[in-house]
Amino acid sequence: MIPDALTFGTLLIVVAAFASGLSAALLLYGYLTRSDEFQRLTLVASGVSTAALVAAHSYLTYLFVVGDYTYAYVWENSAEYLSLLYRVTGVYANHEGSILFWATLTAVVATWTVYSSHFEGRGSRLVQSISLAIVATFAAMLTTQSPFTPIDVAYPDTPAGFVPPDGDGLNPLLIDPWMAIHPPITFAAYALLIVPFALGIVHFVSRFRGEASVFDEWLPSMLQWLRISWLLLTASIVFGGIWAYGVLGWGGFWSWDPVETAVLIPWLGLTAALHAANRYETSGEYSIFAPAAAALIFPLVIFATTVVRSGVFRSVHSFAAGGIGTGILFLLAVTGTLAIVLPFAYWFLEAGDPDRPADEPWLSRRTVYHGAVLSFAVLAFISIWGLSFPVLRNAATGVEVSVGQDHYNLWSYPVVVFMLLAGGLYALLDMRRRRLAIGATAAVAVVTIAAAFVTPSANWFLSDPSAHDPAVYRIVGNASVLSIVPPAVFFAVTWTVRYVDRVRGVPSRAFKLRETGIVLIHVGGAVLIVAVSFVYLFSTSASVAVVGVADATDNPEPIVEEVPDSEYTVEVTNYDSVEEPTIQDAARSPAEMLAVSEEVSLVRGEITEIDTIENTDVARLDDSDVWLASSDASTSFEEGTEVIARGNVFDGESLATDADAYVYTDADNKGTVSDPPEDVHEPRMVSHEVDITVYEGDEKVAEGSIAEQEYLRSEMNTNDALIERGITGDTYVVGQVSEGGASITIDTYPLANQIWTGVGLMLVGITALIVGDSRFRKR
Amino acid sequence: MTPRKLLTIVVLIAVLGFGYYSMNAAPVLSDHDYTYQGGLEWHEDPDEALAIAEQEDKPVLVYYWTTWCTYCQDYEDQHYQDDEIRDTLDEYVLLAINLDDPGPGASMAAEHEAAYPPQHVIMTNDEQEITRLGGYTEQDQFLQRLESAAENQ
Repeated sequence: MIPDALTFGTLLIVVAAFASGLSAALLLYGYLTRSDEFQRLTLVASGVSTAALVAAHSYLTYLFVVGDYTYAYVWENSAEYLSLLYRVTGVYANHEGSILFWATLTAVVATWTVYSSHFEGRGSRLVQSISLAIVATFAAMLTTQSPFTPIDVAYPDTPAGFVPPDGDGLNPLLIDPWMAIHPPITFAAYALLIVPFALGIVHFVSRFRGEASVFDEWLPSMLQWLRISWLLLTASIVFGGIWAYGVLGWGGFWSWDPVETAVLIPWLGLTAALHAANRYETSGEYSIFAPAAAALIFPLVIFATTVVRSGVFRSVHSFAAGGIGTGILFLLAVTGTLAIVLPFAYWFLEAGDPDRPADEPWLSRRTVYHGAVLSFAVLAFISIWGLSFPVLRNAATGVEVSVGQDHYNLWSYPVVVFMLLAGGLYALLDMRRRRLAIGATAAVAVVTIAAAFVTPSANWFLSDPSAHDPAVYRIVGNASVLSIVPPAVFFAVTWTVRYVDRVRGVPSRAFKLRETGIVLIHVGGAVLIVAVSFVYLFSTSASVAVVGVADATDNPEPIVEEVPDSEYTVEVTNYDSVEEPTIQDAARSPAEMLAVSEEVSLVRGEITEIDTIENTDVARLDDSDVWLASSDASTSFEEGTEVIARGNVFDGESLATDADAYVYTDADNKGTVSDPPEDVHEPRMVSHEVDITVYEGDEKVAEGSIAEQEYLRSEMNTNDALIERGITGDTYVVGQVSEGGASITIDTYPLANQIWTGVGLMLVGITALIVGDSRFRKR
Repeated sequence: MTPRKLLTIVVLIAVLGFGYYSMNAAPVLSDHDYTYQGGLEWHEDPDEALAIAEQEDKPVLVYYWTTWCTYCQDYEDQHYQDDEIRDTLDEYVLLAINLDDPGPGASMAAEHEAAYPPQHVIMTNDEQEITRLGGYTEQDQFLQRLESAAENQ
């Protein structure tokens, strides 16, 4: 490493890498030798590692907030015009910053287990060692690709010591409040998964060594970790969906973009692991699968990260284009191998047959539950495979294939239907109503199949397969979406009945809270599945072009257009264009100007003194050492006026005076604050905002404003949609807007709100479960 | 064998079957010999296509396309999926040139002055241009032009 690149921030990361590596090694030594001799040093090392990472992350955030463009990463992902919120968003807008953030959270979690008195004993040391080794890997990755690389190291063409006056900007897609919170909760969810991973691995190591495993001891707390992680991950996916719905005017929550698919994979794995671990806790089943599943989620997270960050997978999320650190691939290889090979090896070599009742019927609760767990695994596999095989096949044979939405939708659909039926059957079996359970499930299955043939209109078909598509796509695609309703209703009802049955007569409020949580998650899931199945199939779309939008600004008469092929009428009542930053905001004060080095500056200030030097009019700004200068006869400076001017900057010495800087301007480049020289200023973004009212027939269905933002530097546009929410669905108005005209599209998304209802129930449910369970255990 | 073990094995086999089937069911975009617009086999090398056309005494349909062109998507989803059009296309040797990455088709694209997608050029196997469909053409119009050109070659 060249000394120039070793900045303060990078140094903190190097310290963290060293300290966490040391801590991991000492813990491993302690585990192997059964000794405690380095315990104090371990505590110090892990504490230093976390403190260094927290300091590095805070320092990076500080650099973004103050806009210190000495560092390439800050320059690439921030700019003066951004508000505080989006400067902070910039910290994790790209590869280096997001890995640093993830590493920091992981270090906090890992170190917490070292310090907490709950986790003691031999196995725990190995758990902590593995966790800190992962922190060390993250930190080592960051030392080679540091967010604190100085700009003249990252861009060797820039002269040494040059600090750009303004940042390059932030990806416009990230300028959205949901994007400000989406990454932190995603990384928090990911960080929490590190301990279940280490626990799962240690469980098998202990078993192989013939020792007692710490897994059982940690299980209750691990379940809570998994649940909190599930809560955060679910919320993160939903926030991502809300963002996709709003930003860009995509008008969709989900489009099987590789990143969306990728993040779903750990979620499915986590859900399966939660089911298995729950079962293991209550009945001792899944003695291999539960720890294996807990261990496997973290590699799935790394896999998801590979998809997001590698650029191998074409995706709208490729904010971090370019090479992925070998560190991520290394982590994927090591953690994935451990999490797969250890459980399988144990299963083959060591596992005896678990005890089970000899008279257990074939269709038992255990079998059905197992079916549900396997279904999650199958769903995860459909997604993993859909992402992977095009890449694998292309690499192996040079054949390029396309994997569209139909792959995911049509393959997953039957599995989801099966899961709902199996889930309902399980709930009934759990109440010891065996004959009723089997009879009812069989009846619902028959109704489901019958419903698959009921298609009142073409919208009801799941897909629109052509005659040349493969058989499976034609069969599933030609089924009616109505077939999701009977199993979903069955599922929701049976779980509600099971809930009532379980809590009846039980006085414990903690138990009731826990059970309420469980039932809300399941009912919410059923609502979500139905809403998601319907929302896209029944969406409608109509659009119209409106010309002369700019006339609406001062025109009391709105522009009215009928939307062809629909009942809609659009009224445009106002048009506004907003620049960001405005010339007033972009102009620097004399002090700000002196702080940055620019050849051409835009300054503002009040003229406090005027003079003439060598036929040049000069004017002092704000009593500072910055003066305007002009030899243009048509420019005049007037004391007491506040002006904005642009011009070449010269050192004060050029006129042999004691001023620090002169800004040479002329009539075209100078104006007052109220009448500034607009033409000399190029804003970052121009937002075209149109106020509209939409009628369907005589009924007003939406009122508000839509906007299109033009980001002039990145040649990228974003849209603000007008979303009128209703119980039956959303009216979604979006358009491409410019002062010349607007092309306005009116979409409807039926049941969109039921998606939020379903998700809301699930989030409330898991929270109730987490709270209820911790109270229940304390008793 | 416990029911759960049996279930696991059944699911594993099903998953393997799914993996194999879905991999082969995915629409192929291109391989070493052909590109697969609309699920049809199109040559990518003009020399190859012309040689085969001469051998089989057929005219050549040249299709200029790109991945980002939405009208090409319409051709792919609608025109080429139409059975009548597919039957008529049997009368032709098909040659598709991706304007973003024309490969050996670059000189032919220059000769045909094909600057934008989609475009179709129908020519004899000795490279005499018979007819040309610039831009997007409605489905029945497309069929008609294909049929008449095949007859009058």
